[in-house]
Amino acid sequence: MTWEMEDLVFHAVKKGEELGVEYVEARYHKRGTKTIITRNGGVLGLQSSFDEGIAVRVLVDGALGFSSTEILTREGVEDAVRRAVDNARRHSSLMKEPIRFSEERLGRASYTAAQRKGFDEVSDEDKVSYLAEIWSKVSGAVREARVAALMAMLSESFEEKVLVTSDGAYVRSLVPRLSLGYNVVVTIPSKGTIQRWFSHSASGGYELLDEWGVHDYLPRDVETYEKILLEARKPPTDKPVDVVVGSEIVGLVVHESCGHPSEADRILGREAAQAGKSFIKPDMRGYRIGSEHATVIDDPTIPGSNGFYLYDEEGVPARPRYLYKEGVINEFLHNRWTAAVFGTKSNAAARANGFRGEPIVRMANTYFKPGDMSFEELIEDVKLGVYMKSYMEWNIDDERWSQRYGGLEAYLIENGELKGLVKNPVLEVTTKKFYSSVDAVDGNLRFYAGTCGKGEPMQGVPVWFGGPDVRLRNIMLRVIA
Amino acid sequence: MIRDELLGVGERIVKRGLEKGFDEVAVRADYYDAVMVKFANSEPSVVQSWREREVGVYVSKNGRILGTSGSVESLGDVEAILDKLSGVADKIPESMLYAPLPEPSEISFMDNLVDDRVLGVVKDPSDVSELIVEAVQRRPIDYFAGMFEAAYTARALVTSKGARLFEDGTYIKSYIRAFAGEGSGQWSLGSRRLDKKKIEDMAETAARYAVEARSPVEVEPGVYDIVLSPMVAGNLFNYVTRMASALSVLMGMSIFASKKPGDKVASEKLTIIDDPRNPELPNSWSFDDEGVETYSKPIIERGVFKTLLHNSKTAAKMGGKTTGNAGLLSPHPWNMSIPAGDRDLEELIGDVKNGFLVTNNWYTRLQNYVEGTFSTITRDAILIIRNGEITGSAKKFRIADTFPRILGNIEALGKNLYDIYWWEVELPSRLPYVLVRDVHTSKHTG
Repeated sequence: MTWEMEDLVFHAVKKGEELGVEYVEARYHKRGTKTIITRNGGVLGLQSSFDEGIAVRVLVDGALGFSSTEILTREGVEDAVRRAVDNARRHSSLMKEPIRFSEERLGRASYTAAQRKGFDEVSDEDKVSYLAEIWSKVSGAVREARVAALMAMLSESFEEKVLVTSDGAYVRSLVPRLSLGYNVVVTIPSKGTIQRWFSHSASGGYELLDEWGVHDYLPRDVETYEKILLEARKPPTDKPVDVVVGSEIVGLVVHESCGHPSEADRILGREAAQAGKSFIKPDMRGYRIGSEHATVIDDPTIPGSNGFYLYDEEGVPARPRYLYKEGVINEFLHNRWTAAVFGTKSNAAARANGFRGEPIVRMANTYFKPGDMSFEELIEDVKLGVYMKSYMEWNIDDERWSQRYGGLEAYLIENGELKGLVKNPVLEVTTKKFYSSVDAVDGNLRFYAGTCGKGEPMQGVPVWFGGPDVRLRNIMLRVIA
Repeated sequence: MIRDELLGVGERIVKRGLEKGFDEVAVRADYYDAVMVKFANSEPSVVQSWREREVGVYVSKNGRILGTSGSVESLGDVEAILDKLSGVADKIPESMLYAPLPEPSEISFMDNLVDDRVLGVVKDPSDVSELIVEAVQRRPIDYFAGMFEAAYTARALVTSKGARLFEDGTYIKSYIRAFAGEGSGQWSLGSRRLDKKKIEDMAETAARYAVEARSPVEVEPGVYDIVLSPMVAGNLFNYVTRMASALSVLMGMSIFASKKPGDKVASEKLTIIDDPRNPELPNSWSFDDEGVETYSKPIIERGVFKTLLHNSKTAAKMGGKTTGNAGLLSPHPWNMSIPAGDRDLEELIGDVKNGFLVTNNWYTRLQNYVEGTFSTITRDAILIIRNGEITGSAKKFRIADTFPRILGNIEALGKNLYDIYWWEVELPSRLPYVLVRDVHTSKHTG
């Protein structure tokens, strides 16, 4: 980024102040991405793109205005500031409760996320070969089944920002990320198909490919999918059983049923027509939602994480947030607006996915706190149960209360041992039922990557979600018929 | 002025691409000028506006396919990326999808895609905001949320084959969710034109459903006849329509993977049309990203699978001709239309002994795209139907079924059409209420 961009950001803030706003923030935001897409080992194409612009947000007469521009000149940003101010002012008469922001200790800092092996240190030929090799290993891994399709996509990106606010924040940052996603379809015509979507993503560089180990594990996974088609039985659905929920599903559960309902803007109804409201009401801090094993943390500061940041889009320093603590609703995710409404301080949850997006309350890296048991200890006293390791289908209602996860790889547990595959078990429970049923947690904390969607226009932001394997007692399962 | 500017950008990049040694270049340059008012708790929560020009570039060299995109203001950066890509082209294998860009064809342009009233709202949306605030609160609701967007968009396409095309249009997109007691109702609208009466109708429908669903009761999951509102049918059939993209089939993301044109895939009551030539729907355009004239065509016609959506590349790969659905890289549908049936909503409800009218849903996810196994969760008003009459409202449950089964069990369609466009119906859609027999539902077990 050139210093010119920083000058423009300061100029936007100055222009807002000249127009008499209560608050103005400006953010230069550039994202660049290079993606190689393959199907069954053959290259479809290579796409290299970027977007770059300045976002402006103003508070005027209690109304909030936002605008953005990719015209990176003084005139361009002045026009953006004027549009934001004019639109906010025109709507101030419709405001019942004037919007205000909390006062915060704001950052003046610059940081960069580290890469051990930069994007340019790996040739494009090697990147293509890496993807082609996934196909050659996977397509030969099955005997009776056929791998009908393997779409694999390797994507390197960077996100560069400079933020300035009229009350003193100044933050520059640069975060590179690497992603590898795939969709594999395994079929035996007489038995059906199994499909798996998955993606790895983290901040860093090409050192991550070794950590992810796709060449090693995906052929084994595909073998398992063949076995599901050939051998898997119906899971027990006629009586309550114990369910060991694999860390991949636990990660999704905490994202969906702890992280989202803990977003204070959702609790206040700001997303009510889009992603919905929350079962958590403003006065529910201290409410018991689960057992003493249920602690969920959201932490943007985990080095190398997909949702990594040290200051949010409002300049507030990031820290771990303990959303559920030992089974009790403990803390909400706040930006400076929700913090002002609740009479508290922001905990730096304001994020935007690019220069076109207003900062809104978001998660970063959400995880279930691990315990100290081993996986073997977790299943050893289960007489009859199911271990659900991975999933495909999932959803949750718009208040984040009723949730459903369709198991992909899942096993029957009998007398403390895994006893073969079961097909399409479904965990469909309320949030309180899930967290209250947790009676043991192992120490195998793992993280999974996702793009979390929220806002209007929709803003996808990179996140991690994770957890250990957890054991639930007495759960009625369903099955996808 | 926008026309000349966008075409000028296209020509400049095509020239640069050819100078850099690419065999083919296609450039799409877009302009977007929009305003969006977002509401929460019956007041504006933020007013957002955007004014931007973007460029997307497709290039090929010796059968390699590459692309880039960026801001028109940073054309220097776009050109720098092009320069880099010209070095990359020799280092990657030929694309399995490569086919030459088509020769330019004669384009018949649609009239009246720009509505001056929408242009006025882009400049100052406050009148429409006030209308929505007033209209939705005519009924006894507690509060509402939602959004209203007005936009002017323009697109130019320049290719090294000689295409030099420009088209512009306006659209509005709006949805309102009203809350009353324990109930809520949501409705939406998408159109190239501003019709204040339709905005009032949308707001009033949301409020009416909220009031009707004020006191929902628990119901047991099971197999029911369900009348899907255009919001719900729009969401589910958007998935089916996207699965008709030939790239979805190639990627293993489609229920049409094992089908061929002529196969029966749905009830004979159902026709689904990819509808770029409907000038009232927001994504109507006269040409695609390869410069091919668009045309409206059935994906499913009276229950029979008719058309996979192709660009010239997927058509060459799979055998067939382009259907005018090219994006710069992959084929996609434009708008979705489902022609009306012959029943009033009251008649559809009257034909249900034990079931529901489901007015909205969200979070549709698939266990398996090839088999079409999915679940989706209802939200907002669910009206209980017993012996052909609405007897109350229900709390949320899931529809957990398969697309092939839903398509096959369509019994009847309503005779009124609605223009739907929102978060969960991302493809602008015109469709009626749809009655489906024997829909499998599910709910949490504890």
